[in-house]
Amino acid sequence: MSAEAVMELANVSRTYGQGEATVFALRNVSLRVLSGEFVSIVGPSGSGKSTMLGLLGCLDVPTSGTITVCGKEITALGDADRTAVRGRTIGFVFQQFHLIPHLDAAGNVETALLYRGFKPAERRDRALAALQQVGLLPRADHRPVQLSGGEQQRVALARALVTEPRILLGDEPTGALDTKNAAMVMELFANLRSPERAVILVTHDPGVAAAADRKISMLDGEIVADERKAVVL
Amino acid sequence: MSTFVDLLRVSLGGLLARKVRTVLLLLGPMIGVAAIIAAVGLTDSAKGDLKRKVTELGTNLVLVSAQSSVGRQNPTLPKDAADRASKVITVEKVAAIAQLANIVVTPYERAKSQFETVPIPVVAVDDQLPNVLEVPLVSGRWINAFDESATTRAAVIGIGLAREFNYLPGEMRTIELNGIRYGVVGILDKVELEPAFDNAVFIAFRAAEQDFVDNDIQPNKVYIRCKNGTETETAIALKTAINLGGPQEVQTEIKAAALELAAQSDRQLQLIVVSMGLLAVIVGGLGIANVMSISVIQRSAEIGIRRALGHSRAIIGAQFMLESLVVGFLGGVMGVLLGIGAIFTGVKISGWVFVLASWLPPAGIVLAMLISVLAGVYPSTRAARLEPLETLRLG
Repeated sequence: MSAEAVMELANVSRTYGQGEATVFALRNVSLRVLSGEFVSIVGPSGSGKSTMLGLLGCLDVPTSGTITVCGKEITALGDADRTAVRGRTIGFVFQQFHLIPHLDAAGNVETALLYRGFKPAERRDRALAALQQVGLLPRADHRPVQLSGGEQQRVALARALVTEPRILLGDEPTGALDTKNAAMVMELFANLRSPERAVILVTHDPGVAAAADRKISMLDGEIVADERKAVVL
Repeated sequence: MSTFVDLLRVSLGGLLARKVRTVLLLLGPMIGVAAIIAAVGLTDSAKGDLKRKVTELGTNLVLVSAQSSVGRQNPTLPKDAADRASKVITVEKVAAIAQLANIVVTPYERAKSQFETVPIPVVAVDDQLPNVLEVPLVSGRWINAFDESATTRAAVIGIGLAREFNYLPGEMRTIELNGIRYGVVGILDKVELEPAFDNAVFIAFRAAEQDFVDNDIQPNKVYIRCKNGTETETAIALKTAINLGGPQEVQTEIKAAALELAAQSDRQLQLIVVSMGLLAVIVGGLGIANVMSISVIQRSAEIGIRRALGHSRAIIGAQFMLESLVVGFLGGVMGVLLGIGAIFTGVKISGWVFVLASWLPPAGIVLAMLISVLAGVYPSTRAARLEPLETLRLG
């Protein structure tokens, strides 16, 4: 079975500045991520990981090259259409959780479902289901300040999952967590693998990288290694 | 539609999450609108009783009187003045009167010495006068066509006189005019626009000719109701229509004009306080713009995550605009309530009549919303332009 590519970068470069001051954050990178893959992108600071994440998340556009998400070439789209593609296909989990402080856990998860034509009750049901998936249903009416870091990250994960995205994008998702919570979150990520979904984690934590099936190493804006774990049956 | 409902929920949520800040934001437009409403309402209410009177009496009563510039005593109008007046197309109702001089009125013979000193006006009238003045009879009936044709000695008296003479409603009484007994058939209610009528005695023209005037009696005043809004034009047309180039000079007066003038609110005061209120609303708007701008910076992470979750720039901009608009709306509504409360208090203390133009409350709310929309333009544009990448601090 050959899985389809959910994310395809072709000869992508991203530069900052102009003329002689041009800095290549990403230099001629090509990458295919297939549906069902669990990928980690690793590299030291300044290697281009963050730039890569911005591009993978459709939060940024490359200076040259094309990016195709689920068959749609987003580099050809305007901001509004790119935003729509992002909302439909990509779920984000950030290092700093980025929960909205004045909303409770369910409210935060619901935020991802706003403006999509759902009735409030349906939105709530889906949000609660997503919270159950990460084991936080009893905490649905707690605000972020009432939750531990690990719990906050699980709420963020529920928020990313509730839209049933094809791509789950994690930015150092365990970076702000203690070992125990980090392990729990990683376990959730691992369980979220499915043939319909690709999970991509950007990290500098070798432990996190090791959990993935495929490890892409970056250095100075280029991909220097792309290793797949031997499939263990 | 569901998008708008979602937006409203998000905006209200944002406002409710910062209650104190929201209340402080409300104060600006609220105080401004309250000041405007109270200023207009209180200055109007100060003249409220007069305003109400003007509305009650109508401004379309025109009085035509005979005038004499050459010093002729007791100037008169042409005998057919009423007919001539009704030729003017804007005239709706006409009543002619003749004021009679030097008639001693006493309630009964023995009281003669007591009342002689007080002159009581006697007025010859046609059957139309109460109809034109739009004043009802307290009791009994008015002088009618039968009185006129049969020359009955029937009299109607004003309410003031009735009180003076201790008349009971419906009581059969006589009154003596120069010693001639007249039967009192009715009592006319208070005539706001012609206070002299309250103490007058009204009799038919023929009766006056028979008992008090030797020659043909001629009216000296004509009361006219014209179509609303045509007072000035009617008054001008009447001069010509009644005089018809004859020797009698004619003077016209719009009866409620003076009252209307007196009922006018103090425009200057109103203008000053309204300007200050407007200033307060604008300053309130600046406050909203200022605080919202800071709020956009404070909430940049929230904006970033919303953008990452797929909320478009337009949605983010609309969210902040709506927050501003809701603040304006609530401020406006509360301002209107506060203003109305202030008017009520003022009216209660001063014993005025509550007057508030019906367009003012909605206008106050619209003004507050308008200002808040203007105030929301900059912050919401700024929010919409925020790049999620800049605010999310990626790993």
